[in-house]
Amino acid sequence: MTLIFAEAASGGGGAILNFNSGFAVWVAITLIIFLAVMGKYAVPLIMGALSEREERIKDSLESAEKALAKAEEISNENEKALREAEVKAQKIRKEALDDAEVLRTEKIEQAKKDASKIIEDARNTIEQEKKQALMELRSEVAELAVQSASMIIHSELDEKKNKKLVDSFINDLPKMN
Amino acid sequence: MSRILRRIAVTALFFLTINPVLAAADASEESENPIDVIGKVQDHHYLDVAGYHLYLPRILFVEGSAIPYVYGSTESAVTSGNFEELPDHSLVSTMGNDIVLDMSITSHLMYFWFGIILTLWITIAMARKYKKGTGRETEPSGWFQNLFEITFVFIRDDIARTNISENKYKKFVPYLFAVFVSITFMNLFGLLPWGVTATADITVTGILAAFTFFITQWNGSKDHWEHVFWFPGVPGWLRIILTPIEILGLFTKPFALAVRLFANMLSGKIMIICILGLIFIFAEYFNPAFGLGSSVLVVPLTVALYVLKAFVGVLQAYIFTLLSAVFIGMASDEHQHEEGQIEAHA
Repeated sequence: MTLIFAEAASGGGGAILNFNSGFAVWVAITLIIFLAVMGKYAVPLIMGALSEREERIKDSLESAEKALAKAEEISNENEKALREAEVKAQKIRKEALDDAEVLRTEKIEQAKKDASKIIEDARNTIEQEKKQALMELRSEVAELAVQSASMIIHSELDEKKNKKLVDSFINDLPKMN
Repeated sequence: MSRILRRIAVTALFFLTINPVLAAADASEESENPIDVIGKVQDHHYLDVAGYHLYLPRILFVEGSAIPYVYGSTESAVTSGNFEELPDHSLVSTMGNDIVLDMSITSHLMYFWFGIILTLWITIAMARKYKKGTGRETEPSGWFQNLFEITFVFIRDDIARTNISENKYKKFVPYLFAVFVSITFMNLFGLLPWGVTATADITVTGILAAFTFFITQWNGSKDHWEHVFWFPGVPGWLRIILTPIEILGLFTKPFALAVRLFANMLSGKIMIICILGLIFIFAEYFNPAFGLGSSVLVVPLTVALYVLKAFVGVLQAYIFTLLSAVFIGMASDEHQHEEGQIEAHA
């Protein structure tokens, strides 16, 4: 062991456990310059670039999520609008059908009314015609009666025979009619 | 054609590797020890490049002079006549003045710089790429940027954010990331051939821990200092014991940080050298054939240790960074309620 350490001293740079102050000055100066350059120029650039990239990735992920949510919302809205439109169309169709029904019933009513009116008119006309005919018949009958009476008066003034004549005449009337 | 070139390159590399082994064998014949374990892990004034020594400059502040003496290598310092080398390889001034500060460039410092420069280069290159828009506006492209980003996000989220409060952690990410990556590189450089582990030096880990210490204390909240000097919720007489302990605790934390990293890296390196050195020790003490035979056992063991050390290198960098974040988080945290205060000191 002593041999090794004696050898150590002969190496030129001093023993291995020596703190060499001249060397330390070099190391300290180098380290100060090194750390200054690293801290001022090199590392902050990299840190900035990395954080910028991380920020961008985070942002783009967030915006993608937002866009997805928006797209979903829009599609939901579209679906809703479609459903509403369908409901509306259904309603319109139903209303149209109802209107048509009302119109139809109205028309039928009108037609029925018209028909009954025509029938009524026809009946009235018939009634009038009938009345007129009856009147005409009466006047005819009266004329005939007067004629027959004059005939009777002219032919024979037999009471009994006349009465029988007139009665048979009147009895025959409805048959002649 | 490319295959031929590749073969030539491989052969050249092989011979380059063999050469230092032969050189080491030559050296060991002169020395008493077949393998110099400590010499491998300690600091040198030269860089070992493929077995050849690349001498590094010496910068020496001598007493009585504000201007340092600068030489291309130890040899030129000696030939200048101002310094002479003692048998233990340390330099002394020939004028009799003491050396105040030895700011020579050493192998550990070079590898420390390699780690730092590689970290800076990668980080700035990546920062440019992010600035251009790749990774900021689009996804990160290529395996390297992805790997970088995994590391960065890990430091930011799992180390900084989980230990430091949400509104403060951003300030400390540059420090934690810089420390983690550079320590990892320094640890792993020690595994390269002829590589030196800069973090297997107490000076480097000590300064790193000192930085954590200063950052921690500068960002200490009112609660932090209140806990140190006037522990709330305990009887008055207990504070006589608690306050010194708390003050001591301020320094033991970074000290443990420094020693943990240093000892782990040093021990791993020593272990690999020792176990691999067994071959040479056996060859020396028994016979070369025995040494060669032992390599069958020793080499796989070394491979396993290498893998373990690569893992430990990353793990220790992680532990250093994590504990730095924990200390910073503890000091900068503003406690909201009574339970939190006690919990933090449990």
